[in-house]
Amino acid sequence: MFRRNNSSDKQVLSDMKQKQQRYEALVHAFHADIYRYAFWLVKDKSVAEDIVQETFLRAWRSLDSLKDEQAAKAWLITILRRENARRFERKQLDTTELDNELVADDTASSDASLRERDLHRLLGGLSEEYREPLVMQLIFGFTGEEIATQLQLNKNTVMTRLFRARNQIRDALQRQDNQRGRQNG
Amino acid sequence: MDELEFRRRVYANPDTTDQDVVAAATADPAKMAFWQEQKQLNRALADTARIDVPPDLAHRLIWQQSANEFVRQRKRNKWYVALAASVAFAIGLSITLLPQQSVSLGNEALVHMQYAETEQAHSVLPVDLAQINAKLAGFGASFTDMIGDVKVANYCHLQSVRSLHLIMRTSQGTVSVFIVPPRDDVDLPAQFADERYHGQAVNMQRANIMVVGDKHADLAPVMEKVRRSMRFSA
Repeated sequence: MFRRNNSSDKQVLSDMKQKQQRYEALVHAFHADIYRYAFWLVKDKSVAEDIVQETFLRAWRSLDSLKDEQAAKAWLITILRRENARRFERKQLDTTELDNELVADDTASSDASLRERDLHRLLGGLSEEYREPLVMQLIFGFTGEEIATQLQLNKNTVMTRLFRARNQIRDALQRQDNQRGRQNG
Repeated sequence: MDELEFRRRVYANPDTTDQDVVAAATADPAKMAFWQEQKQLNRALADTARIDVPPDLAHRLIWQQSANEFVRQRKRNKWYVALAASVAFAIGLSITLLPQQSVSLGNEALVHMQYAETEQAHSVLPVDLAQINAKLAGFGASFTDMIGDVKVANYCHLQSVRSLHLIMRTSQGTVSVFIVPPRDDVDLPAQFADERYHGQAVNMQRANIMVVGDKHADLAPVMEKVRRSMRFSA
């Protein structure tokens, strides 16, 4: 009786240890891209961090339901998106949007960093319906089909949004280049 | 593949490896140039998207999880302790409040007879009426006159009920008289007996009287004497 309890205790302990190891592996493998994705979703570093923390906490709690390690990335994204929606519901009232962070500070240093800054601003400036699938593609390398599954959209819609997102960025860059050219010339 | 379709496909995924996109680009240098430009832009965009990650984020995520788990564990323990405490409290409460099994004073009195056998008078002088009445005062009772030759008058506890135990020498042998305050939870049988003794009990105004003597002793005279002599103060 006691021996059986003992061994089941050991079983529980080793299960816990295994779960812990699994969790740590999950954190190391995905936290960077999940954080980046969260940032592009909310465009605020500290809010992104909060959401990522909440996401991984929830992931820990339901880690047993993650059967397929291959699906871990998509699983985490689903949790994160739900977490973000929840945050959005909570913060519906205080609407101090932080787009300024992306718009401000255009003091150019070099052409490369200017370009980088432009892209950062343009990517952040896309509306969410264009930004989200594009970021998924850029960060996670998802195919149109994977993005469609994740966002519960049809594949053609996703392809159209990706197309429009890049088109908008390219147009904006060209307009900007023309303007700068005119200013400089 | 026409120009628009080609652009759509490239914009949707600049890193596409679709055969028809590749074929169209190979056949048309302008398309190829556009594609290369888009690939380059896409690499730049991907670089932009890969913002710096706080260097300690992974450690914080692992730390917060174990801290959170610890708190949860503690909460769970607290929950167990609280449950155990409530159960203990409930048991304690029910023991205190549930009606106890009523006790039979007869058996208690019989047990005390053993003591009556060995009990010696504290004084060589017989106990007088004043002494007995002083002890009876606690029950709000008194004797009008002496009920007989009382050897010992002592308090005793019958089933935790404080009682007065009078040991008398009579023509029927040693007889004990118990004066017991009435209590709801105490059961008083009219007759009781064991191998050596038997007893009778009566319920009086504010006390129960039990007379116990030898198996063959006639207890009626003593009982009668006690009943007639006992008075209760208002």
